[in-house]
Amino acid sequence: MLDVRSKARVTRRAIFLPIALLVLLAVLSMVLSVTQGSVALSPSAVWQALQGQGSILNQTVVMELRLPRVLSAFATGGLLALAGALMQILLRNPLADPYVLGISGGASVAALAAILLGLTGLLMSGMAFIGAALSTLLVFGLAGQLSHNSTLRLLLTGVVIAAGWGALITLILALAPPDKLPGMLYWLMGDLAYAHTPWLAWLVLVPVTVLLVPLGRSLNLLARGPMQAAALGVNVKGLERLVFIVASLLTAVAVTTAGSVGFVGLVVPHMLRLVLGNDQRLILPASALAGGCLVTLADTLARTVIAPEQLPVGVITALLGVPTFLYLLQRGRV
Amino acid sequence: MTWLRADQLVVAIPGQTPCSEHALTIDFKPGEVWGVLGPNGVGKTTLLHTLASLTTPAMGQVMLDDTPLKDLHRTHIAQQVGVMFQAHQDGFPATVFETALLGRFPHLSPWDMESEQDLALAEQALAQLDLTSLVQRSLSTLSGGERQRAALATLLTQQPEIWLVDEPTNHLDLHHQVAVMALLKEQALRQKTVIMSLHDVNLAAQWCSHVLLLYPDRAPIWGRAETLLTQEYLEPLYRQSLAVTEVNQRPVFVPVAQVYKSID
Amino acid sequence: MMIKITAFARILIGLLLSWVPLGAHAEQRCVIDDKAREVCLDKPAQRIAALSPGATELIFAAGAGAQVVAVVSYSDYPPAAQQITSVGSHTRLDLERLIALQPDLVLAWGTGNPSEQIDTLKRLGLPVYYVEPHEFGDIADNIVNMAVLAGTEPEGRAEAQRFRRGIAALQQRYQGAAPVPTFYQVWDSPLMSTNGEHYISKVVSLCGGENVFADADRLIPRLSQEVVLLRNPEVIVAGGMGERNAHWLEAWRAFPELLATQRDNLFFVPPSLIQRPTPRLLDGAAILCEKLDQARARRPF
Repeated sequence: MLDVRSKARVTRRAIFLPIALLVLLAVLSMVLSVTQGSVALSPSAVWQALQGQGSILNQTVVMELRLPRVLSAFATGGLLALAGALMQILLRNPLADPYVLGISGGASVAALAAILLGLTGLLMSGMAFIGAALSTLLVFGLAGQLSHNSTLRLLLTGVVIAAGWGALITLILALAPPDKLPGMLYWLMGDLAYAHTPWLAWLVLVPVTVLLVPLGRSLNLLARGPMQAAALGVNVKGLERLVFIVASLLTAVAVTTAGSVGFVGLVVPHMLRLVLGNDQRLILPASALAGGCLVTLADTLARTVIAPEQLPVGVITALLGVPTFLYLLQRGRV
Repeated sequence: MTWLRADQLVVAIPGQTPCSEHALTIDFKPGEVWGVLGPNGVGKTTLLHTLASLTTPAMGQVMLDDTPLKDLHRTHIAQQVGVMFQAHQDGFPATVFETALLGRFPHLSPWDMESEQDLALAEQALAQLDLTSLVQRSLSTLSGGERQRAALATLLTQQPEIWLVDEPTNHLDLHHQVAVMALLKEQALRQKTVIMSLHDVNLAAQWCSHVLLLYPDRAPIWGRAETLLTQEYLEPLYRQSLAVTEVNQRPVFVPVAQVYKSID
Repeated sequence: MMIKITAFARILIGLLLSWVPLGAHAEQRCVIDDKAREVCLDKPAQRIAALSPGATELIFAAGAGAQVVAVVSYSDYPPAAQQITSVGSHTRLDLERLIALQPDLVLAWGTGNPSEQIDTLKRLGLPVYYVEPHEFGDIADNIVNMAVLAGTEPEGRAEAQRFRRGIAALQQRYQGAAPVPTFYQVWDSPLMSTNGEHYISKVVSLCGGENVFADADRLIPRLSQEVVLLRNPEVIVAGGMGERNAHWLEAWRAFPELLATQRDNLFFVPPSLIQRPTPRLLDGAAILCEKLDQARARRPF
């Protein structure tokens, strides 16, 4: 009987342990990422630079280039994985992901339009949020009522909408003045080369992750179906609306930070569910942490593996994501 | 002691115009076991959903201890009223134990973790439903009957005052049919109210204290089971000729291959 | 280790300079770049990063090739440029590597480099000079400006002069030449050309040609074969990426109704000589002019 309880993973300790492990992993991955790069720096040199000591060059490389990029990478991964985990609950479907369903496509189009109009910063994030929300509404609206959507219908709708956004992106790129082109291109694949302000992403990621924990049990119920959730006392409509807005916000902030990085929201929650079970109180914060680790490590690879040539981080995540997606489809867990 | 009351209630069935003459005004009292009988599509499931405030009625209202359900917070309702659905939604994969533990949801605040007591309740419920050996199995790997029992275990863990159960014996073998009906009867003995929809009139005859007969074409009738479970009321209900016999002082109805003629 | 040595060298240079009394370093050298920004240096740039293949050619032409410490992929001319450290592709720079090379002047490509990365370099206090020549004169001006910044003015001015004279000579020679409707094919699929704003089109005009797509809205318009048939050029000139795209021209032989096909006026000009705004444009122009002369000679009278 005791065995059953330990595997049920509902005690505070059972949640604390994996989270503590993931926090450790997160710190390690960020440390690793900060010490890797085209300029070979020893960990002690990095540590000195972080404290504002050592050579000016080392300080510039660490403080101006690496640290902002590493922080952006982590936050982007956390945001996307969390958004993916939330959408999977909302749609009760492990294949849901901001990228697959065209949500980040909508955010990208809006962000490109913002660049065309010369908007930056919060205004651009706001546009991206509207794009993401519009896209989510379209997918849900066209795929039918939340309560009885079928997987196939949903996926097809998402795929078609993603393709539509893709066409709009190509159109905007074709019409854009040449001096705005290079800045725009990176929205297509997701790239952290230009990320130097991680603060907005962190300001969204941390509070949202913490505030989602008390909602975890309600989300557990929602994952079992809206009727069951309502029968056990969940305000289903309100919760679904909240999850929808939060997932759109997370996606929008991720897209304004790094363009549309694919498949993080799909891979990370799935891997975690295999290992940790499906209690959202654990899975949601774990997704934020593990997503952060994944993108941090993927971006480290992207900027070092064939240096000096730099890869967009989206290439690495897609290389991981596509086989995972196919495997999930194959196993029919949808 | 919690009372559930249907007050001039007409349920909303898609494609049907509600008729106030078919309204229900029933007090479901603690200790009673109600069987809701009627042919397919007459609205048995909709009635149970309406009683749980999952569906809005077309007319009238449902009261819980003299307060209309619509004025109550959903969590408060869930602390008193439990529902077991007939069709189990395919949500995310979950284990049998996790499923049973869901029943504690309305009794916990957001920051609470399930306590030892909550875990014990879930274990007890699973043991009562013969599922102890399956606790770690994923719900999706279970047979229909096992799923049905897991759903009942959730309800048992929830410990509501009012039990709304949609076709409790679906998919169950004979042994488990009896076990489940006995379990529901036991709840009534503990002064809970049990309301279940049944398609087997003989189960109602054996286990229910009260029945509600939902006719497709005339006003419903309700009352004590031994009064209403007769050929006179049941044949028009199912539009089927029935033969009746008696086993253990309870009536047993058998459909007979004979053209049913309406008395009207 | 490298870094330490260069840091040491810089200190040494600094010390030496400070010993020169009232040295030339006191006067600022300022130029205006192709984004109309003023770029000033206190002393000649000794560590130059050229962030496009074209910029690399220009800085070498300015006589400061030896001071270049960083280039990007495809910087293949002059051959010496291939020996210089690459900092990635022009669309995605390895900023770390670039910073580590401690450049004191960055030659950026406004429409080619990502503006966010160039902004980062500016934020770090590096002087950025934008290279974006559109006219023959811009090419010469850029060479002079770079020479001023790099302290190689004699070489730079001489090369600029040579280029200006060469262009002027061609201009004079073809001033009264019979116009030749010309289609310059930038790319095959999708089919692309240039409009009149582009320097390639200006080379065509220089040789007495008439770019048949000079009136297009976009700098690099995408075209259909139909439009090419409609404009019916007398000459088709193909560029492309390498030297092995004769099949681009062969494809036009399928359309005997084209004047260019009828007269066999399907010409190839090595793209590196004409598609980069550098002094080598002069060589490209000479070849193109000669091809247009051939076309004129094939006209029936």
